[in-house]
Amino acid sequence: MKKILAIVLAAVMVLGMSSFAFAEDTVPMKIAVWTSNESQLELLGSFVQEFAEKKGINIDVTFESIAYADFTTKLLLELQGAEAPDVYWVTETSAPAFIASGNLAVLNDAMAEYDPADFAEGAMSLWKKGDDVYAIPFSTSPFILLYNADLFEQAGVKTPEEYIAEGNWTWETFREVSKQIKDATGVWGYQTVDGAGYTTSVMQNLLPIIRTYGGDAWDAEGNVLIDNDGAIEAVQLFHDMVYVDQSVVPPGDESSFYTGAAAMTLSQISRVSNLDEVTWKWGMCTLPGNNPVIGQAAIGAFSGSKNGELAAELAAYMTNKECVARIAGIWPPARQSVLDSEEFLTSNSRISPEQMKNAVAASIATGRVLPAHELYPQISVEAQMAYDKLWNADADVAAIMHEVGDIYRSYVG
Amino acid sequence: MKKKSGMNRQRRVEALTGYAFVTPQLIGFVLLVLIPLINVFIYSFHNKNMLYGTNIFTGWGNYEKLLNDKLFWKTLGNTFRFSILLVPLNLVLSFLLSLYLGEQLFGSRYIRTVIFLPVVTSGVAWAIVWKYLLQSGTAGPINYCLSKIGITGPNWLTDKNWAMISVVINRVLKNLGTNVLIFLGAVMNMPRDVIEAARLDGASEWQVIKRVKLPLLMPTVLMVTIVTLIGSMRVFDTIRLMTDGGPEGSTMVLVYYIYHQAFKMFNTGYASAIAVILFLIVLILTIIQWTLRKKVSHYED
Repeated sequence: MKKILAIVLAAVMVLGMSSFAFAEDTVPMKIAVWTSNESQLELLGSFVQEFAEKKGINIDVTFESIAYADFTTKLLLELQGAEAPDVYWVTETSAPAFIASGNLAVLNDAMAEYDPADFAEGAMSLWKKGDDVYAIPFSTSPFILLYNADLFEQAGVKTPEEYIAEGNWTWETFREVSKQIKDATGVWGYQTVDGAGYTTSVMQNLLPIIRTYGGDAWDAEGNVLIDNDGAIEAVQLFHDMVYVDQSVVPPGDESSFYTGAAAMTLSQISRVSNLDEVTWKWGMCTLPGNNPVIGQAAIGAFSGSKNGELAAELAAYMTNKECVARIAGIWPPARQSVLDSEEFLTSNSRISPEQMKNAVAASIATGRVLPAHELYPQISVEAQMAYDKLWNADADVAAIMHEVGDIYRSYVG
Repeated sequence: MKKKSGMNRQRRVEALTGYAFVTPQLIGFVLLVLIPLINVFIYSFHNKNMLYGTNIFTGWGNYEKLLNDKLFWKTLGNTFRFSILLVPLNLVLSFLLSLYLGEQLFGSRYIRTVIFLPVVTSGVAWAIVWKYLLQSGTAGPINYCLSKIGITGPNWLTDKNWAMISVVINRVLKNLGTNVLIFLGAVMNMPRDVIEAARLDGASEWQVIKRVKLPLLMPTVLMVTIVTLIGSMRVFDTIRLMTDGGPEGSTMVLVYYIYHQAFKMFNTGYASAIAVILFLIVLILTIIQWTLRKKVSHYED
């Protein structure tokens, strides 16, 4: 009897100790992301394990993959419940609202040891409020130009690289090239970004031209620049390409660059995998004027997390130099040291080191993110109604851009 | 005495069995319909924002905001325009088709299948394929065919004068099958002798339709009208995928605006207020249906 009692007692003690040890050393961490790609999750998981080793603790990590389209909605619902993720990705359009909502922890202290100055100032603008950093960009993907080299050759037109070398790669040249190709081959000269440049991606489409001509959506001081003379001239140029030259795939037409139905398109490096099967030669270069829009995604820590401090440290760790370098081929980095490294140039097997340097890195260096505003979704839906009026042959570009400007002014400044 | 209590018992068992059968449905209804519906009413009186986690009682604040919201009035107008275009088109087409199919002529089985096929097709796939078919210029197969017979097709989805019409035609084709089936059921159940008698009396085919068949089918016509009308108030997927509310907001309907406010702006309270308005509109339509039903359907047993 005593024996049995002793065994039971010992068992209870062991159990008690182990659960005690469990509570002490294993920390649960939930990370919400929008990728469901196994190898990407594995890579991110290894960052967490390395972080755990560094801290001398055990982390029981779970990745929650939420589809991009529902990401922000589902994330918000979870943040209000008991199953809230400790660390999560943030989309660029929701950045200002997320920062204002207080759902993101300040990361200044956590990232202090990982050389925060390494992040380009422009790359951080969306994720900071004053001097406080609320999320750290892990992906900084510029919109670059892809072109069909075979069509350029057929039309007897110099390649963009040759124009760049001459210092003559301007929007006027771009317009001419597009028209020459259309006239010579009958194939569209240019397709806007996935054909959505008139609707959902109108900003990615127009802003690079507008910024080159001295306009912008609005600046940091709240001055709306979308309808200044430069901006109007820029939009008129694109409008003429569509309706005078008829060299751009027009609204409502789904002809695609990736199937060879257009000679150039606006794109991001993640889309280059679409070209794996094509039989024609393609190239990649910066946009004329090199004022591209940059698409960003960042990682942040939930301010209400039970392990808040650890979550913040983890978010910072996952964007340190070593980690960023290892994901650079998938998600172009915002860290200058990684951008400048040799490894970055060979990080994506589909893209040559020259393209990585001259197109991707060069675009990141001068590109800027979309304008940010807490009410961005509302502004964009109202502005879209005005932008839509542009897409008629006889549209009064100046009047329409003033209308867009008035909508912006009613929210900004 | 004994017999009576036996009957009571039997009735009780029957009643219990009945309740047992409806319970699962009832639980689902309470959890997934009733409670959320009540919550929508409560939220509509709050300044509730999912992002900021705010939830402040504002009384009629959201409804007052609605009065001055240009986008709300625009979407409300678009919703009615959509319904006014869709319902008659759908009704006339499905009515005529069901009369034709009811005659069981050569090939009617085949046609019935073809008409019903879109109903069982996924709405998303349907919308994406139609977006491809309706491309502008001569890029789209439809405009290409039109150009072969000398017609320059419009920019179906990107011209603000055509976008709504394109979406309406698309929805009619998608859902025609359901109404045809309902009408067909009614047509098949029409008393043959009455029609026969009218024909013997020398009524023309048009007179038979107008004076005999239509009155006989009136209750069904009413029911289908209201159901189609209510269905048209809820259109979302087609618009989201084909026009995304554009161009110039010409196809932005109420449900789309609710989605925008709730899931893009996270204004749960304000979105709920719009949802309440939509609920009231549908409620009024349903009440009208019930009142008319009693008045019109003399022929119902």
